[in-house]
Amino acid sequence: MNIENTQSQMRKGVLEFCILSIIKRGEAYPSDIIEEMKKANLNILEGTLYPLLTRLKNADLLSYRWVESTGGPPRKYFSLTEKGAAFYGELYATWNEMANAVQLITGNGDASFNQTNATNTDNV
Amino acid sequence: MKKVININFQGRVVPIEESAYEMLKEYTNSLRRYFANEEGKEEIINDIENRIAELFMEDLKKNPGGCITDDVVDKIVASMGRPEEFDGDGTEAAKENNEKSFESAGAEPKASLYRNANDKVLGGVCSGIANQLKIDPTIVRVLFALITFGGFGTGFLLYIILWIVLPEKGIKATVRKRLYRNPDVKVFGGVAGGLASYFNVAVWIPRLIFALPLIVSLLSSVFRRSFFFDHDFGFPNVVFSGFGGTLTLIYIILWIVVPEAKTATEKLEMRGEKIDLESIKHSVQEELQGVKGRAQKFGQEFKEKAKEFGNEVSNKGKEVKDRGKALSTELTPVTQRAGSGLLHALGVLFKVFFLFVSSIIVLVMTVLLGAVLFLAFGAYDVKDFILEGNWDNILAWNSILFFMAVPVIAAVVWFIRRLAGIKSKSHYLGYAFGSLWLIGLVSMIILAFNIIRDFKRMASVKENVEIQNPSKGRMMISIDAPEGKYYDLKWFDDDDRDDPGIKFNANEDSMLLNTVRVIAVPSKDSFFHASITKYARGNNGSLAEGTAQKFQFPFQQDDSVLHIPSGFVISKKEHFRNQRVLLLIEVPVGKMIKVDRKVNAYGWFSVNVNQSGINIQSDDDWSEGSNWYKLAGKWCTMTEQGLVSVDKSSPDDQDTLEDGDDVEVQIDENGMRFYKKSTDHKDDRKIEIKAKDSSVNIKLNASENGKMEGDETEDVSGVTKKVNVYTRAMISVLDLLRK
Repeated sequence: MNIENTQSQMRKGVLEFCILSIIKRGEAYPSDIIEEMKKANLNILEGTLYPLLTRLKNADLLSYRWVESTGGPPRKYFSLTEKGAAFYGELYATWNEMANAVQLITGNGDASFNQTNATNTDNV
Repeated sequence: MKKVININFQGRVVPIEESAYEMLKEYTNSLRRYFANEEGKEEIINDIENRIAELFMEDLKKNPGGCITDDVVDKIVASMGRPEEFDGDGTEAAKENNEKSFESAGAEPKASLYRNANDKVLGGVCSGIANQLKIDPTIVRVLFALITFGGFGTGFLLYIILWIVLPEKGIKATVRKRLYRNPDVKVFGGVAGGLASYFNVAVWIPRLIFALPLIVSLLSSVFRRSFFFDHDFGFPNVVFSGFGGTLTLIYIILWIVVPEAKTATEKLEMRGEKIDLESIKHSVQEELQGVKGRAQKFGQEFKEKAKEFGNEVSNKGKEVKDRGKALSTELTPVTQRAGSGLLHALGVLFKVFFLFVSSIIVLVMTVLLGAVLFLAFGAYDVKDFILEGNWDNILAWNSILFFMAVPVIAAVVWFIRRLAGIKSKSHYLGYAFGSLWLIGLVSMIILAFNIIRDFKRMASVKENVEIQNPSKGRMMISIDAPEGKYYDLKWFDDDDRDDPGIKFNANEDSMLLNTVRVIAVPSKDSFFHASITKYARGNNGSLAEGTAQKFQFPFQQDDSVLHIPSGFVISKKEHFRNQRVLLLIEVPVGKMIKVDRKVNAYGWFSVNVNQSGINIQSDDDWSEGSNWYKLAGKWCTMTEQGLVSVDKSSPDDQDTLEDGDDVEVQIDENGMRFYKKSTDHKDDRKIEIKAKDSSVNIKLNASENGKMEGDETEDVSGVTKKVNVYTRAMISVLDLLRK
């Protein structure tokens, strides 16, 4: 068993969720998204991101618009569609459940975590 | 200093170093491959390229007037990530597509044996095994081939079993340095060149290893004359047997099994260099130049070759080889396209066969030249007997040198050049060879014509010979050595023939010929007759006749014995013109004649030139003309149909004791008795040797012709003395008999 494989699998699992979160906060283009992820210590490669975005777009979860830029080629700015928002909501719930479960199993205290999540849920 | 090009990237003009551009292209190609099965791949790729373009713009802004360098592209690619590094979720298909990745990162194949689906000639068995053992699949293949050939097919069976049993799997190649055949340095199949690259030695080393035992065994077998004489089909034996033969077999196996390094990647693998863009590019450039150079070299060599031989006879040999090569180079792409390893093997075997045939032709010509030279040296003395005048001489030398030697020399030179890889820029050698050869050919033709012309006409001169009838009604022909000293001219070591061949006398200005035939026929009357007919050839009738008259066949009669020489002499001035002597003896019916055994030593041959060409007849022991094999040395009676041999000895012959004479010996307690029988028992001779007490008594009874009578007694005592006496008595008796 390769630990890197397992770790990568874990990350893959939350990838979509994280990206949708970022875009939810506001219109974003791929470079931005990568920056944000980096800030959160979750590194992702362009080559992973672009296909993912395209898939999400093809699934009507995202939409984009072209924005001209002065110093370079035009950029795609992505935003959530309605379907995307709903999708996101469900993912969020799933995430909560999973996080709780894992906490329980691994024996970390769960109370404070739940509360924080609850707060977030309200803001949706 | 690097070349910079402008590319149109995402709708913008980007100045970029050529090498950086190559890297970029490779990257986008790898992306393309990675996303080959992805939905919306065009968009994805476009997005990525877009991002790259953005980064390019940023960099260019930082260096106005600059360009995108290798470093920049490197950094971008590193940050974007290579396809294998993508956290591909749901892109399993993309992973499987990525077999041709540059670096063999990625999961190792599981630790069980598979057949390699990606690299198969027949069933991928060998490359699967090779992958398992982490060695070059070619090596495994060679081993398999060797086991199959050497072990009479055990390898084959093993292969089939493995083919059935092992499952197939797409395995990535994991070897860096592989054994290929090197097409750039090839004489035959590039095997030696490939081996040289693999082991990092100079090219001539493996070539020498292959060639040397073969050449050595060839030469030694030629010298031992086992080339043609010992085996029925000597030539292939030499090539395929022995140490040299094993190497040849190995070479052929390698030729079939080891693949040729055609693409740049393969060539790099052959040399064991790192496979990346830089080295691939260098290798491709090298190859382009090599191709140009090779095309030039080929054109030159081809012209040279065509001129060097410039004539059909040797051209045929070359043509076969060239056609073989052309065919094989045509065959090669065909065999590749067919994609099957079996066809390739067949193609190689074809090539080998052609090579084989053409090399046989060259070798045969070499041997012919050697034989002709050999003959020429041997015939040097004879030369002047055949050739007339200086002109002929010149023609003869021309022919040998130019006609025979030139093609062989040219072939050897060409071969050496090929081996050493030397290119020669000048065509002069080819011109010179070609024209010399033509001169040789022309002079050979003229010479042949001249010689034939001198043998065109035959004339004969007949002499009747005075023979006195022998007093006893029997004649004997005795063949003696002629006067003067003559040396043998022996070209070949024909120890099993006691044919003395043609002899020369001491001065070398005359030759002793033994082209004599003796024929005995019934005489028309009751007398013996003889006639000598001399034959000779010449340019025209009168010349031939003159030549015929000029030589002598002297004979001598000695009552009942006719002495004839074992050969007759011709002088250089008269030249050798197929002079022959026919001795015709007419024997009355009922009379007897005995011809010396040596009549079989006469060698009769006649050269006939007529419209249909040249016809050479010769008498062997079995031919009809002189059926002396059975009759020579024996007394024969002439009948109406011809000579008939007589078994028993005749009375006249009592004077000598010869082979085949019947002598009866009786030994009993009384002593020894010798009987010499005769046909009518009238002339029996008898010798009695008796031992009485201690004395030996010898009594001789002779016929009325002989005068032998004697009665000798000798006193002996002791047995040994008796034996001695017997022996001595025998000897003296025999002596007496001979008188």
